[in-house]
Amino acid sequence: MTSTPELAGRAGRPTATPAGPLHRPSELTPTIDVSGLVDADGGLLDRAIFTDHQIYQQELRRVFAPSWLFLAHTDQFRRPGDFFTTYMGEDPVIVTMDKSRAVRAYLNSCRHRGARVCRADAGTTRNFTCTYHGWAYDLEGRLVSVPNREGYPDRFDTADWGLVEVPRVENHRGLIFGTWNPRAPSLREALGGMAWYMDAMLDHDGAGTEVVGGVHKWVLEGNWKLSAEQFATDWYHVNMSHASALMLLAPAGKSPRDEIVHRAGRQYVDPNGHGAGFPVHPKNRFDALAVHQWFDYEAARARLGDARVEGPMTNGHATVFPNFSYLPVNGSVRVWHPKGPDRMEVWAWTLVDRSMPDEVKEAQRLYNLRTFGPSGVFEADDGENWSEVQAISRGFVTNSVPLNYQMGLGSEREDGRYPGKTSELYSDAAGRAFYRRWQSLMNTPAWYEVDR
Amino acid sequence: MSGTGIRVAALDDIPEGEGITVDRAVTGTEDDIALLRDDDGSVWALNDTCTHETASLAEGWVEKGHVECPLHASRFCLRSGKVEGLPATRDAVAHRVEVRDGEVYLFPNETSS
Ligand code: FES
Ligand SMILES: [Fe+2]
Repeated sequence: MTSTPELAGRAGRPTATPAGPLHRPSELTPTIDVSGLVDADGGLLDRAIFTDHQIYQQELRRVFAPSWLFLAHTDQFRRPGDFFTTYMGEDPVIVTMDKSRAVRAYLNSCRHRGARVCRADAGTTRNFTCTYHGWAYDLEGRLVSVPNREGYPDRFDTADWGLVEVPRVENHRGLIFGTWNPRAPSLREALGGMAWYMDAMLDHDGAGTEVVGGVHKWVLEGNWKLSAEQFATDWYHVNMSHASALMLLAPAGKSPRDEIVHRAGRQYVDPNGHGAGFPVHPKNRFDALAVHQWFDYEAARARLGDARVEGPMTNGHATVFPNFSYLPVNGSVRVWHPKGPDRMEVWAWTLVDRSMPDEVKEAQRLYNLRTFGPSGVFEADDGENWSEVQAISRGFVTNSVPLNYQMGLGSEREDGRYPGKTSELYSDAAGRAFYRRWQSLMNTPAWYEVDR
Repeated sequence: MSGTGIRVAALDDIPEGEGITVDRAVTGTEDDIALLRDDDGSVWALNDTCTHETASLAEGWVEKGHVECPLHASRFCLRSGKVEGLPATRDAVAHRVEVRDGEVYLFPNETSS
């Protein structure tokens, strides 16, 4: 049994970092007004947002730094010293459980000369000792050892040189998110109406979820927004891009049933840029037989309501703005780590219900691996599309031709069944909302610019 | 000193592969004592403070006859205290230990034969 980590005891405010007379000249961080690059009302997008280096730098500062970003699952931290290293935007971070069992996150960069202080993917430790000159930090981020300490001046105080801490770390039903923004709304508030849809995956029976050991990581050519946007808004590609995979999964000798191909469904459009699409046909469940047979649909209906069971629980796709996505029925949970405008790293976990017997967990793991693992029959199609789009986008003429996001323009409404604004299953509505949010963050000074 | 030694812990207090610290007030030694339990179940005692920087060897990693400092990974022989891996260059002080009836007895400043 895994205990739920405490979520108290973190800094709550940015780590002070003495800068003396240093001050960065503003020419180093030029700001581009992106008003002319996104037409969220009209459904048009300038392709430069996928290729330009200055825009990419500004994204790291104004989209990633102030937003809640997915870090890890609580199941990855069972005892003090358990750690997992990941990224927030391009910033390397260590997520760990401290001696008081609080999950905390630190910038994985030594305060001395900047090397990473933890170079393993995951494990258990007592300290984070830099392999360059040996500065060592404890689980609370304090600098506890400095070789040749006598060589430093009197005013050198180790209390000033601890690890830079991520000031806010919170979890929603086992999914841990962090933000550098000390004034961000709570995670729950930032998820807003999206939490109702997420809980269709995370709250089947009250016992919670856990992750299958290990994280799959792979590199793709492609801007991180191509995949984040697709998971928010794009069921449209399924029958075309995944035709061969759908044929493969259909009963032998038959093509997929009509109701599988021509699906009715809804797409949730969140004002904070999140999105989720799902078919609503009751026969749409699309998973491993062992999982399907084990699952207690009546109990789920009682707990989650019919609308959620016949939609966001049984199928679909979703993105939590900016770069966390999931597929509820596969238990695939992933982050699109940005690696420059042209590249991303996909980090993917398999989520299972804690209440599942081992053989059902195993069936879920294999099903997710076959479909949406690094070489899954669906995943490979998606990666191919994103890389294809990216590969040609540097051409001068290519780059200057606007892209179309006009499907379902004006279709967002309250439908009385699914909460918040929803559109059709086939629609670009959540994509337009994603880029509206992106544009707004890109044009808004972040907390550190306001405080300056 | 010889005789029966000082009772410092119950064997079960020390998980295999880990260590505990015994205060110098109890042992009468110049430094606190790290009681270290190897992965074969045997128990050993060294001065607790690493000879390199200020770190507790009792918080280190104990494995196959060695303890590795938790801070900079200096390695010492559990039996003799001999330094076996940089960055430490000075040996740790070893003390004899006996286990009788599930109790651990320390013989400060005696070496194991
Ligand atoms: S860079 Fe970490 S100790 Fe020098
Ligand atoms: Fe797809």
